[in-house]
Amino acid sequence: MPSANLLGQSLLSGILAGGLYALLGLGLSLSWRFLRIINLSHFGFIFLGAYLTYQVATSFHLSPFAVMLAIVPLLFALGVAQQALFVRFAVNEFGSLLVTFGMVAIIESLIQYFWTADFRRLESGYGTLSYRIGPLFLPVAEALTFLVAVVLGLAAWAALRFTYLGKAMRASAEDPAMAAAFGVRERSLALLVAGTSAATAGIAGTFVALTATLAPAQIYAWIGVIFAVVIMGGLGNPLGILAAGLLIGVSEALTMALTSPSWAPLVSFTLLIAVLILRPGRV
Amino acid sequence: MTDAYSRMTLGRLRRVLAATIMAAALALGLAAPVMAQAAGQPIRVGGTLALTGPLAATAMVHKIVGEIYVEQLNKRGGLLGRPVEWVLLDDQSKPDLARTLYEKLITVDKVDLLIGPYATGAILSAMAVAERNGKMLVHHTFGIPKLAKYDAQFPTWALGPAPEQTVPGLVLDALAASAKPPKTIAIVTSKFPSVHFLALGAREVAQKRGLKEVLFLEFEFGAKDFGPIAARVREADPDFLFMGAIGLEGNQLLEALKKLDYTPRNHFYTYPAPGPMAVSPESANALSSTVFEGSPPFTNEPAVAAFAKEYQDRATKAGLPYTLADVQAGVSYTAWQLIEAAVVATKSLDDKVLAQWIRANKVDTILGKLRFTEIGNYGDDLSKIKQVQDGKWVVVWPKEFASGAKLVAR
Amino acid sequence: MRVRWQMAAIAGAGSCLALLPAAHPAAFVESFLYLIFLWVALATSWAILSGYSGYFSFGHGAFFGAGMYTTANLAGPLGLPFLWTVPAAGLSAMVLGVAVGAVVFRVRRLRGELFALLTLAVTFVLATVVLNTPLDGGPGVYLSGVKLPALYGGGTSTIYLLGLAVALASVVAALLVQQSRLGRGLFAISDDEDVAEVMGIPSFRYKLTALAMSCFLAGVAGGIHAVFVFYVTVAETFSITVPLYVVLMSVLGGARHWIGPAIGAALVTALTYAFVGGDLAVIGRAAIGLVLVLAVLFLPQGVTGLLASRARRSLRLPQPGAAMPPAVAPQRPLRPGSPLLACQDVQLSFRGVRALGGVELEVREGEILGLVGPNGSGKSTLTNVISGYYRPDAGRVLFAGHDLGHEPAHRIARLGIARTYQIPRPYARLSVAENVALSAMFGAAGLEPDAALRRAMDSLAIVGLDARARTLPRELNLHQRKFLELARVVASGARLVLLDEVLAGLSPAEMDSALSLVRAIRDRGTTIVFIEHNMRAVLSLTDRLVVLNHGQVIAAGAPRAVMRQPEVVAAYLGTAHA
Repeated sequence: MPSANLLGQSLLSGILAGGLYALLGLGLSLSWRFLRIINLSHFGFIFLGAYLTYQVATSFHLSPFAVMLAIVPLLFALGVAQQALFVRFAVNEFGSLLVTFGMVAIIESLIQYFWTADFRRLESGYGTLSYRIGPLFLPVAEALTFLVAVVLGLAAWAALRFTYLGKAMRASAEDPAMAAAFGVRERSLALLVAGTSAATAGIAGTFVALTATLAPAQIYAWIGVIFAVVIMGGLGNPLGILAAGLLIGVSEALTMALTSPSWAPLVSFTLLIAVLILRPGRV
Repeated sequence: MTDAYSRMTLGRLRRVLAATIMAAALALGLAAPVMAQAAGQPIRVGGTLALTGPLAATAMVHKIVGEIYVEQLNKRGGLLGRPVEWVLLDDQSKPDLARTLYEKLITVDKVDLLIGPYATGAILSAMAVAERNGKMLVHHTFGIPKLAKYDAQFPTWALGPAPEQTVPGLVLDALAASAKPPKTIAIVTSKFPSVHFLALGAREVAQKRGLKEVLFLEFEFGAKDFGPIAARVREADPDFLFMGAIGLEGNQLLEALKKLDYTPRNHFYTYPAPGPMAVSPESANALSSTVFEGSPPFTNEPAVAAFAKEYQDRATKAGLPYTLADVQAGVSYTAWQLIEAAVVATKSLDDKVLAQWIRANKVDTILGKLRFTEIGNYGDDLSKIKQVQDGKWVVVWPKEFASGAKLVAR
Repeated sequence: MRVRWQMAAIAGAGSCLALLPAAHPAAFVESFLYLIFLWVALATSWAILSGYSGYFSFGHGAFFGAGMYTTANLAGPLGLPFLWTVPAAGLSAMVLGVAVGAVVFRVRRLRGELFALLTLAVTFVLATVVLNTPLDGGPGVYLSGVKLPALYGGGTSTIYLLGLAVALASVVAALLVQQSRLGRGLFAISDDEDVAEVMGIPSFRYKLTALAMSCFLAGVAGGIHAVFVFYVTVAETFSITVPLYVVLMSVLGGARHWIGPAIGAALVTALTYAFVGGDLAVIGRAAIGLVLVLAVLFLPQGVTGLLASRARRSLRLPQPGAAMPPAVAPQRPLRPGSPLLACQDVQLSFRGVRALGGVELEVREGEILGLVGPNGSGKSTLTNVISGYYRPDAGRVLFAGHDLGHEPAHRIARLGIARTYQIPRPYARLSVAENVALSAMFGAAGLEPDAALRRAMDSLAIVGLDARARTLPRELNLHQRKFLELARVVASGARLVLLDEVLAGLSPAEMDSALSLVRAIRDRGTTIVFIEHNMRAVLSLTDRLVVLNHGQVIAAGAPRAVMRQPEVVAAYLGTAHA
């Protein structure tokens, strides 16, 4: 029987992993809901952000967070440019899946061209730092990731719920014609959403660089679980993503603590299937 | 009148267009070999590597080594008085693509000799193609000897025919000889085929030697969150952690352990990514097995030292973060050596003649003398145990080979 | 079947390719073509469900993998003859697919991205099970001992021919399905599943059938591929690239066309091979990405989509006759005036809010019954109950002696009930003619495709839309779309038609023609329930009137008399606006 300590530590680990999932999925969810763009290149953007963080922080001995401040506007611009392209060619939902799949391949090649396929690790000092709280250890980088995920999630939720822009976005997604009649400028809104979404990828990228070793092919490693989190959380629902990230993170961590870790995906994805079938109205 | 629906869904123009595009695509695919074909004279050695995709990090090493070797070989006058050309294709880390590309190399490009691709899955694919076509295959990175069933395939990763017994045996020997032999063992392994079977073997060996197994965990290859696994290792607190790890998995577990303020006392990793494992602070004293390192005592031989130096230069130029030659580079170099030795000795390019010669002889390589006479054409297990000491890999076992370096056991 | 030309072309191409090994080509040529065949089979089989019905599956890797592991285990450790394991691979994938579909397709909201995710999750679950059980367990399954029957003297040729066979089988299946009732039903489901079901398409059965075919073919392809790679591992088999590539290829070629996925598969596979040179590997990968981006930007409907509208415009249609197509003669004719439809104490609540509170209603053979009531009185809900979209909580709905209570919507349509929608709901990507023909195929008339098209043209002529038969519904204006709805119920041959506010939004002149059309439909022997707000029209058209309020019938009888009843006046002037 596992000890309470092991369970507590695993639970904490699962919660923090859930925060990372939510952070990686937030932008994807927003652009999917409000732009009807399934943006696989979001994963490419995340790794672009991670590699840039790694490179600039290493070469100029800067704090990764300072680098992040520069990456955010850069990726915002990239997101805007990408959206302009989608609008110009009237790309639809599944078309976007394919276009962005091609874009991921291009981004992956660029990364491999500049940084080779070998592993890159940002030595920031945060990587292995942790605080002791009673019997448990709180890893700093993961805790920061979680914190940022919660802050961004809450901010996105509040922005959607309380600001004029947020309401306009939701109205546009429900009924574009009606929203336009009320003076919502859909195209500028769309560019804003795309830029914001890409900017969150940049932020996520910095935290990926803090917590993981980078390799170009890792771009694809996250797609499955993040898709699950995004859809389970409800498209365009920042709080839902946090909840879904936690659910999957915690259920996997507890499976790993209690049984053979190789069974972990079974539990989280069976849970997902059950949620989809039993409560389809709620996702 | 009546076939309105079928006409609606299929216009004539569309048929023509579809046919044209199909033909163009096929032509594009089939034309590539024709373009790649160079004029007759050189001896052509064909092979693929996973230059893109998830295995690309390691395949790079083999590309650099191959380029060095072929260049030097040609400086020495080539083989049989002819220059040597390496026909290298990218199998994109996909075994089914590797199979097809080896068929292309043999049946379309008609290369003279074959050299293996990177990693077990792709090598198995290439091996079957070689067997069907009666070609010899020299390969460098095959991890599961019992699956190598073709008599004209020759592995240069000198693991011996049963590494699942000998490699864990060797590391336990090394630890048993230390000041503080371990009494308990935890085995944590990825379900990646070529490391999983080593971990299962380690389980048996440990049991035979009377170590108490305090933890046995399997995780899926590609697992991302190592927190819970680390918590379980910490709780089990073994004297010795044996990890069936490939690539970064070892580092990931170590980082997760570090965050729990836990450092394993003695720890072994099957196939760690050499760079990250050597430089990261938490992997101090990590053990692994090796058959070659670009450092003494291997480099006491001047030719080997020259290769190690050359490799380092090229890797630096290619922008690799970790530039020291290691196992991958060594076995890769050895594969080329084996091909050269066989051709020079037999003065032949005939696969049967070459294979017969290799089976019948011991071959001098940078790994030492290799023979190919046991199951799967493996020979002696030349594995040594290396350890991360002061940010470098140092060979610490067997003692007579270790040239003074000592295993640090806790 | 009107597919002789295409079948001949497939047979011709197939036999040429089947003879290729006799010429002893380089083994590479066979393997390269085999890989194209593999992806043709996978992409085409995927499209039979996902392309046609719009249920985008990300789980094709699961079915393909189920096939691979079936053959790997049967032919490997168990040592069964390889050829026997191939159909078994198809069957096991099919059983898996049907089991998944039987659950998933019952849940109405599991469409779009939710379906995609669910099928992806099935892949991960299956992969985990295989990885942790003796089916694989971790080390992979090695198939070197498997004996291949040697055709043309070599195992490579055998695999080539098997690959060719499954690719051809997939393409033929896709073609036959596209031309059949099944395929047309799937296209309708893709555009508007609720409408399709209400118009008589057995959507559950059709989706399940398409999924079963799709899975069987993917499983067979997997069984063959297991021997091609002969070292089967979980990571390779269930990798995310399989479903991604399949979707990519199908959409690139055009997923709604039988040959589209095959074209996409050939293109993408060939593209993969165009960049295998060692020196250009990284640039090659970027080039593949770039080609995909450009292809989708400039060919959004896929290669075959390029010519879809041209094909639609050059469509040859039968000349319409001048007469109104008759209603389908009932098996048990009723005397005019006897009850055709009876609602008895029909109740329905949504999350505790009562929408229908015991509706009692009778519709008599041959009449036009007006159904009126203030907004929210339950008219639309009742229409949805009668047409089977909602199932009542209590009470019975009897139609010509059948109890409709437990019949699915498509059975009700076949029994002879059709409806229109207040806001027209045509199938957006099908031509006007096809929209109407679908009603003739799946409604009471139940015609085969050719006869259905003739009936559709007759119906379009009646409503004055025969000249627009080749256009897409979005090119019609509102009143034309309303008449399209009417053409559908005419073509269906239904005995009872529910007309839901067909007049709303029409000009007075259009209204007049609509009203005379409704009378003409009645005169051919169809009973009509006429739901309308326009009282002048109701009074001029209907034989009897029923008034609903708060989900209950508050009055029924002769129209003018009913409208003077105090409860009715109160409902309209008092409570309704309170």
